[in-house]
Amino acid sequence: MTDMNETPLKPVVLAVDDTPENLDVVKGILANDYTVKAAINGQMALKIVEKSPPDIILLDIMMPGMNGYEVCEQLKADPSTRDIPVIFLTAMEQTTDEARGFELGAADYITKPVNPPILEARVRTHLALKFAMDDLQSAYAVIKKQKDRMQEELNVGRDIQMSMLPAEFPPFPDRDEFDLHAILEPAREVGGDFYDYFFVGDDEICLVVGDVSGKGVPAALFMAVAKTMLKTSAIDDPSPASIFTRVNDELSADNPASMFVTVFLALINVRTGEFRYCNAGHNPPYLLHKNRSFTCLNARHGPIIGAMPGIAYKEGMGQLAENDILYIFTDGVTEAMDTSGNLYSESRLEEFFSGIEGATSKTVSDASLKEIEKFALGAEQADDITILAYRFKQSQEDAARHVLELTLTAQLSEIQRVNHSVESFCGEAGLPANITQKLGIIFDELLNNTISYGFNDEAEHEIQIYIDYADGRVVVKVSDDGIPFNPFDQIGPDTTLSIEDREIGGLGVLLVKEMTDSQAYQRLSNKNIVTFTINTENQRPGRRA
Amino acid sequence: MKMEVRDSDDVKILEFEGNLDTNTSPDAEEKLNDLIDNGSQKLLINFGKLNFISSAGLRILLATAKKLKGTGGNLQICDLNPTVQEVFDISGFGSILNVSNSEDEALSSF
Repeated sequence: MTDMNETPLKPVVLAVDDTPENLDVVKGILANDYTVKAAINGQMALKIVEKSPPDIILLDIMMPGMNGYEVCEQLKADPSTRDIPVIFLTAMEQTTDEARGFELGAADYITKPVNPPILEARVRTHLALKFAMDDLQSAYAVIKKQKDRMQEELNVGRDIQMSMLPAEFPPFPDRDEFDLHAILEPAREVGGDFYDYFFVGDDEICLVVGDVSGKGVPAALFMAVAKTMLKTSAIDDPSPASIFTRVNDELSADNPASMFVTVFLALINVRTGEFRYCNAGHNPPYLLHKNRSFTCLNARHGPIIGAMPGIAYKEGMGQLAENDILYIFTDGVTEAMDTSGNLYSESRLEEFFSGIEGATSKTVSDASLKEIEKFALGAEQADDITILAYRFKQSQEDAARHVLELTLTAQLSEIQRVNHSVESFCGEAGLPANITQKLGIIFDELLNNTISYGFNDEAEHEIQIYIDYADGRVVVKVSDDGIPFNPFDQIGPDTTLSIEDREIGGLGVLLVKEMTDSQAYQRLSNKNIVTFTINTENQRPGRRA
Repeated sequence: MKMEVRDSDDVKILEFEGNLDTNTSPDAEEKLNDLIDNGSQKLLINFGKLNFISSAGLRILLATAKKLKGTGGNLQICDLNPTVQEVFDISGFGSILNVSNSEDEALSSF
């Protein structure tokens, strides 16, 4: 690389001409400021260039053997000589020839006889241009080297980040109470998303989704530390709020780079679907229910983690119903941009949810990512996109549970409808005929009682029935908003009396008591709640006296 | 619920099919009263096709039995399924009413 400022040597000019007099003219003009080398034909010129490339070449066109065009063509074809400026120096004046010279990559064209100031000026200009170009190229090389190093650092950060994530799906194939899926679609540069899931007890799983500020190796290391601390704390701490309070204190204490992380953490009982969660400055997750409805878990329990010590985080509680999906994500989802700069946004996400039915954690994650990618098609992904979905399925054991919920208006004619529903419920649940008959009798007794005597106004009332059959036990709950009345308080009839003396009152409650294995009455929030159970295994068809 | 009446000599045989409960007992009671009012003194209720009986059904059985007893008549009941039998056991109706296993047995008890 030649540099006028750094090398004391004069720039080298190579003059090529088959007429020695012409070479002498050029030498005479340029020798004061330049080292002038001469060649009397094309082959010689190429040899000199190969041996020691000049800074600029003055090239005659009409030469025996190899003409100037051919020499120029060869120089321009070789990467090592391509950038040497070539000025054609010729007596020919036709414009077509000039055009050909420029097509071949010549820098300029000077006609003979040579005008000394013009030659000096052109040589000076093209050398200046060449040296400027050389400087640009060396600067570019430096920049590219640094850019490569930065990219490498980002790649190292990315590698650390991705290697920290559990990536085997399905992650717990032996558990039938739930399914779980996670996706992290890394952006080219900015990142810092992570997710995690692990069991903290036999039946409790911890789900974590977070987004670290910054990028590159520092962000990746901060993420690694945060993720490890969260896991370590969660393993022996049953409270998400307490986990966040501890981790925040530790991360804030020694954080010279002022990094921080937004995190959502949930501890879920995989059998019951109950969960506790804490949200530290993170996007509120969603609960997707059946029938395409959804709930946004928009409670916030404290600020981002790592920014300030001494914060006491709060926590929330929730309950997953069967087939509910907990959808946790990072802002890469809602802030995904299309080519016009529009954000994917919560509203598009919610629109997507309202079209989702019967999904598993995997199908909902995949479909969601596909929607986002469709929206952002053609635009560069600016941030990591993370989705973690958890579907509460209940265990096989619980799957054998049969539930019937009924609401009826307080009219005697409704009892018939109840019995039809109970009959088909019992059929589907595989309950034996005698249990079906007993339930028929029990509902006839309880509902007749409530409807006939339970209400002291003319208003329309409703009665709720809930039947749950699992593990050989039928649990029934009947609730009404009538006057406080405990049917089991009634004194039963004397069943030993003769036909003349027998009264019928109280017989119904006696039947209910005798045909069930347990009975309870509660008055709760202005409602009578009668609960009874029947153990199907204890029951023998027909206890004959 | 379906009701069918047959004659066997001077015995009126009633067959109930379905449930004898709050909603069906008024009709059943009306039918029984009609028969008694029209002079029937020997009634046999065959429960062979009955699914279940609740206290509302027991009430009309008791009323019918009382009525017939007052006029020197006789009520016989037969062919109870296990659940109906259990209701009779719990309520004590098995001892205060005349219950037979079969229709023939019941007919021979008049």
